[in-house]
Amino acid sequence: MPILEFDNVSFGHGIGSDKYEVLTDANLAVEENEFVAIIGFSGSGKSTVVSLLGGLIEPDQGAVKMHGKPIGPPGPDRGIVFQNYSLLPWLSVHGNIELAVKQVFPGMSPAQREDHIQHYIDLVSLTGAEWKKPNEMSGGMRQRLSLARTLSMQPEVLLLDEPLSALDAITRSVLQDEITRLWEQDKRTVVMITNDVDEAVLMADRIVPLTPGPRATFGKEFAVPLERPRDRATLNFNPEFKHIRNDVTRYMMDINAESKRLNVAGNLKLPQIQPISLDVAPNIEISVV
Amino acid sequence: MESLKYTLLKIIHVSGLTFLEPVVRLCYGEEPQLQLKKIGRFIVIPSLTFLAFLVAWALIAPVYKTKSGEVPTPAVVWDAAQGVKRFHERESDKQVAYGLSGEERETTLAAVTKQRAVLNTMKADADQQVAEASEARTALVAEEIEPLATAYETKKAEFEQAAKRREAALIVKASQIDQRDIDAKNELLAYIRGHESQTEQERELLKQLKAEQDNVRNLTYTPLQNAMRIQTEIAEQEQYLAKKEEILSKANRSLKLEEEAAKLKELKLQYAATTGPDLMPIAQQMLQIEGRMQKIVDSEYAKPWTLPMQIMRSLACVFAGFFLATAIAIPIGVLCGVSPTFMAAVTPFIALFKPVSPIVWLPISLIIVGGVITDPETHWLMVGLSNLPLIGWLQINPAFIASAITVALCSLWPTLVNTALGVASIDKDHLNVARVLRLNFFQRLTKIVIPSALPLIFAGLRISLGVGWMVLIAAELLSSSEGIGKFVWDMFNNGSSETFAQMFVVVFVVGAIGLLLDRIMIIFQRLVSFDGAPAAI
Repeated sequence: MPILEFDNVSFGHGIGSDKYEVLTDANLAVEENEFVAIIGFSGSGKSTVVSLLGGLIEPDQGAVKMHGKPIGPPGPDRGIVFQNYSLLPWLSVHGNIELAVKQVFPGMSPAQREDHIQHYIDLVSLTGAEWKKPNEMSGGMRQRLSLARTLSMQPEVLLLDEPLSALDAITRSVLQDEITRLWEQDKRTVVMITNDVDEAVLMADRIVPLTPGPRATFGKEFAVPLERPRDRATLNFNPEFKHIRNDVTRYMMDINAESKRLNVAGNLKLPQIQPISLDVAPNIEISVV
Repeated sequence: MESLKYTLLKIIHVSGLTFLEPVVRLCYGEEPQLQLKKIGRFIVIPSLTFLAFLVAWALIAPVYKTKSGEVPTPAVVWDAAQGVKRFHERESDKQVAYGLSGEERETTLAAVTKQRAVLNTMKADADQQVAEASEARTALVAEEIEPLATAYETKKAEFEQAAKRREAALIVKASQIDQRDIDAKNELLAYIRGHESQTEQERELLKQLKAEQDNVRNLTYTPLQNAMRIQTEIAEQEQYLAKKEEILSKANRSLKLEEEAAKLKELKLQYAATTGPDLMPIAQQMLQIEGRMQKIVDSEYAKPWTLPMQIMRSLACVFAGFFLATAIAIPIGVLCGVSPTFMAAVTPFIALFKPVSPIVWLPISLIIVGGVITDPETHWLMVGLSNLPLIGWLQINPAFIASAITVALCSLWPTLVNTALGVASIDKDHLNVARVLRLNFFQRLTKIVIPSALPLIFAGLRISLGVGWMVLIAAELLSSSEGIGKFVWDMFNNGSSETFAQMFVVVFVVGAIGLLLDRIMIIFQRLVSFDGAPAAI
């Protein structure tokens, strides 16, 4: 029984002739404790997928189901880590996490809450920065705070919307390891959107590509049976890793080429015009009546 | 030591007094060259500019003479400021003296009498100085006028003779003309015109000479002016001391009480000694005296409103209006930001009423407040407010309330618009967080909407306070509610040169208070801002 599934979901903006179909007949099934990576091009509707999974928007057709039942409004059982971190800038690290914890666990005593918050701050290696405000922190630290906030809600499913796109390459690799480590601690179900094939192969159990928009849908899935823990340094010499990575990359480039071909804006047939003469100085007398 | 430096720097940063920063850094020996350059730019140059402004003012002012004397120079304005301060101190002194009793009263009275004696000798001196200076001036004037007067007389005689000669010549000419000789008549007309214009010119010249003489007569002789100034000061001081002596002797509260108490004692003896119907009038008299004594105990010296007290009252009025405006504008602004329908409904009102000037609101609010509070003496609100411990001395009257309402009506628009904008322009991501956390409407409002909008709200509040302060002075001037505006109006109606200078004092006082209020709001704005954007220079 998949914990989370897309059941023939369609979603679009606008009405009538202005309608822009973002997703059409998308089907996806996520098993429990699985790490799924969704790869897509820019503008293919990746954020829409996360919003649909989280319940922030409702599909036009089909249903998004959790444990077999259609999901309701967004809630702490589906924790979202936004692409822009969505941190409240007037609250400190402690304050941001406390807001989530107070909301999700109203019955906790203050001492328990403090322990809970401190546990998650330590978990994402932000110890010592409890009282910093978001504008005093680097991008990597902000992303860790966003993760800590979402994890502190102890959601059943973790939805990561391109969490590492806005970071530099070195911080990216550090945080990739961090997220993997956190996941391996309790093996929560994770759906991660990314645009980096290497990252997807490194971290995920299964890769699901999203075809380019409009009318995007989920393409051919790739399983990643590599053994964990996966060491970044040695993976580059692992033939299976290279094989999967090349497959996925080629698949993505193919569907992109196909979509480019299909998406020609329309062929204009030009009229057949023949010039009268190709001579340099035409000796033609034209008389106009 | 280092921590002190960083504390100071933090205070400077929060309070917005950034020009002090290079001074602190210089004291700690940090990059002296750079700090000196910054001090030059932020402290020395503005000071020099201000000095240049004062010098320009001092040079330009004496050129203009008005009904109320010359436009005052900075020195005159400074003197007028001292005069205002002195007036306030003396009145406070008299107020204290009224309440003195017993030994204190006696010692103060002795001191005052001694001061008066000293003053009398000074007065004699001053009078003599004035007499001397006056004599010197008359001599000077006479000396200067003499040549002018003689010149005037000679010129006048000359012109009269010339005019007579011209007229005689014209008459001769006229009698020689044949009646039908039109050309000759026209020629004669031209000659007459020439004669008239000549006479006119001569008259103008005489007028100029006369004006010159008048100028000399109005000569300002500085020693005389100084002497007269000293004399006026001494006269003022004498009046003050005389009044104070009176307050300490005849008009003193404790003395008056003693007097009445003595009378009461006598009457009590009488009351004890008589019987029968005679008791009635004696009893009535006793009760009357008791009532009078009660009134005297509660009485205070009738202190006139001085500028410092008027400043306090103005500040109270502006804050009353400001808080009223905030209480109206922020809830409506939040509603506008949250609901676009509400915003669309309210927009016509905002657009229509925002440009209305306070001078238009004031008469309307005066009439309405006057209609609600028909009898200020007995209305429950007025009586209640005048009995409150801290603000009772302000004597809140319907004019005060009308001014406060006018301030509120004019200063609520910036806060309203900024609050609506701040609430409407929340980051969508924050709202998504609220949805994921399942916050209800009230939680969303207090935990996300309002903290996110606070910087803009405080920006609006700061503008509102600035507008309110400007509006208040105008409203007070027109509503005769005691305050800085009333002070200006009184000085205007007074029309002497000293009061003219005091109006200039008010310019600087109002500006300084406005500056202070603005700085306080900047501090609040900095405290709530979270994106590090600068609140003000």
